[in-house]
Amino acid sequence: MALNTIEFECKSAAPAVAIGKPLHFGVVGSGDLEVLMEPKALKGAVAIKVVTPVSGFDALWQRVLATFVENSKLGDVSIEINDNNATPAVVMLRLRQALSEAAA
Amino acid sequence: MESLLGQGRAAIGLICDPDTFEENQVGAKTFDDPDFGPGAMVGTAKLDGQTVTVIGNDAEAFNEKFPVVYAGIIGMEEAYKMAQAVYATVAADVAKAKAEKRAIVLIVDTPGNGPGKTEEIFGMNKATGAYQLALAEARMAGHPIVAMVIGRAISGAFLCHGLQADHILSLDSSFGTMIHVMPLTSISRIVKKDIEVLEKLAEGNPVFAAGPQFFHRLGGVEEIVTTIEDMHAVVAKHVAEVRACKVKDQDDALGPWGRGSLGAERGGRVVRPEVIALLETEMDAVAKTYLPGAA
Amino acid sequence: MSNWSALQNRSFLESNARDRALGLVDEGSFTEFVGPFDRRTSPHLETLGEAVEFDDGVVTGIGKIGKTPVFVISQEGRFIGGSVGEVGGAKMVGTIKAAIAFAKRIAKDFPNAEEDEKPIIAISFETGGVRLHEANAGLLAHAEVMDQVQRARGHVPVVSLIGSKVGCFGGMGFVAAATDVVVMSEFGRLGLTGPEVIEQEMGKEEFDSADRGLVYRTTGGRHKYIMGDCNFLVDPEIAAFRAQLAELAKLPRAKFAEFRRIGTSELVEKQLKGVALAAKMQPKDARDVWVHVGNSDPVELGSMPLADFRKVVKRLAL
Repeated sequence: MALNTIEFECKSAAPAVAIGKPLHFGVVGSGDLEVLMEPKALKGAVAIKVVTPVSGFDALWQRVLATFVENSKLGDVSIEINDNNATPAVVMLRLRQALSEAAA
Repeated sequence: MESLLGQGRAAIGLICDPDTFEENQVGAKTFDDPDFGPGAMVGTAKLDGQTVTVIGNDAEAFNEKFPVVYAGIIGMEEAYKMAQAVYATVAADVAKAKAEKRAIVLIVDTPGNGPGKTEEIFGMNKATGAYQLALAEARMAGHPIVAMVIGRAISGAFLCHGLQADHILSLDSSFGTMIHVMPLTSISRIVKKDIEVLEKLAEGNPVFAAGPQFFHRLGGVEEIVTTIEDMHAVVAKHVAEVRACKVKDQDDALGPWGRGSLGAERGGRVVRPEVIALLETEMDAVAKTYLPGAA
Repeated sequence: MSNWSALQNRSFLESNARDRALGLVDEGSFTEFVGPFDRRTSPHLETLGEAVEFDDGVVTGIGKIGKTPVFVISQEGRFIGGSVGEVGGAKMVGTIKAAIAFAKRIAKDFPNAEEDEKPIIAISFETGGVRLHEANAGLLAHAEVMDQVQRARGHVPVVSLIGSKVGCFGGMGFVAAATDVVVMSEFGRLGLTGPEVIEQEMGKEEFDSADRGLVYRTTGGRHKYIMGDCNFLVDPEIAAFRAQLAELAKLPRAKFAEFRRIGTSELVEKQLKGVALAAKMQPKDARDVWVHVGNSDPVELGSMPLADFRKVVKRLAL
């Protein structure tokens, strides 16, 4: 019954975007999530940790995050997510919003 | 099964010296209207010969003016009446040294606050908030406050009548005492977990299960009393202990804050002190920049 | 989080706890305590397999309005209804405690400090009270918060801000009532027992919780303002709450006792006049009380623009 923790790394084919400072975005409402991003030297990779009450969707999380990392060309970042049943579309939206905040 | 549930009035005589309870008299204050806040009993008694203020719930009373108030429920009149009894206690001993200030004994058997529309329109939260502030003020002024749970100590009603005391005692759950926010069956429904699973988890973690033994592990109950006959001696012992702490200015060991330390000692609430300590460190690190004259 | 200027015109109701906290104080002045990067999630939610949040649903910190240090506690209703557990409760307790210590330090080290250089505490409530997943710890935390509110008296004023979706109910309803000043928007709600609970316990005849108008008339900002349980009724934007706080920050600290509804023997006597009125009137609807205190058209009073309401409303004088 404990929470499910999923940890993995993704790497964009051409990592080009870094974040300058740590950022936090979102609220863990029902069907929603929060994201922490921190700069971390990972040779261009992105370290991901997802904590969620839902189990059995590890492969889906990997696919969604890999797509996000590839599209954003993000690299050398650690991403931590607390999830509460967010759909892949919401996950993608929140990650993009978080990143645009970093750029602002 | 032996139980004092619903018998607050009888409990006064078992906890205090027999036949010493003078109802409706606290210091210079008298409560003359028998229809005012009948769900609350307030008065003065002796405990091992010493004057104490007694505040309890009368489960047999029914408040004609506020029909949601019965069976020990604390309504608006009851809450303000209890607050008045506390302020009258403080006023009575205002000139006395800490060692001389009379104790307040709370006899706790209450299932809730008045859950009515009239209550919400006029502010039930304000009435019981007033009683809590009065108790906290009396506690800080040096009056030892000991709460004895003899029946029900439920959620918000326990917050106002019990949880501002210096020390809280409870009869063992074999006497039918109940201390909780909600019974485990309701919690099970709301958090959507099987009751069996929750019961199993409660063995290792006392934070959600109902019962005095779980509050004991969290520091929320100082001591469990195992027989009705023991109540008198244990209450008297805790009044003396609390008084000794106050005389030595060890107020941090008492009341809600003291229960926090006790919860950590007993292993029931270990995160709380860490969080408070971290917050203090973070404040200390920036305090200078918020002082007068800082840029 | 958005840029600070944009936050100002944002609805307090629609914003999240962190945006409210940031927008209440001056731009760039906020330091968060035990924030998301400290990762102090609830171990009890984890045990139950429930989603956790890095800040456990409450944003705490210190900022400034002009020269005034403002300790902020801001509850997040979207995370488990803003409920209070062990971690979040400890953050609230720790923040008030830190504010009291800071106020005492200023009193000692800066005897000539201007009034507006002394701290205040602002609590934005958005909660139904205890978090049931860790109910016992949450309940004990409530008592600790109340204890700190009493300890703060005479040292640092505590201001309640209520304008969020969830409102302020349960044990935190006591706490809000016990603070020095209550500021609400008309969308804020303050009480003890939520409408659903009253209906469940006492029946639909006592309270129909589906009747939104009735719900707002019973615990909403306009009603609480008429009753005197709310001192200031402000517009719904973050900027309006901020402006009210800024106004209060300038006041002599001794003045705050005058805003109180409860907390002394005299105030209890005064409130009992209200209870006697309740007993006499047995109101079926808050509108009965509005009329009793001299508002001739209660339906219009409930629906007119807020600016007009503030001009014409008559309030209960105890």
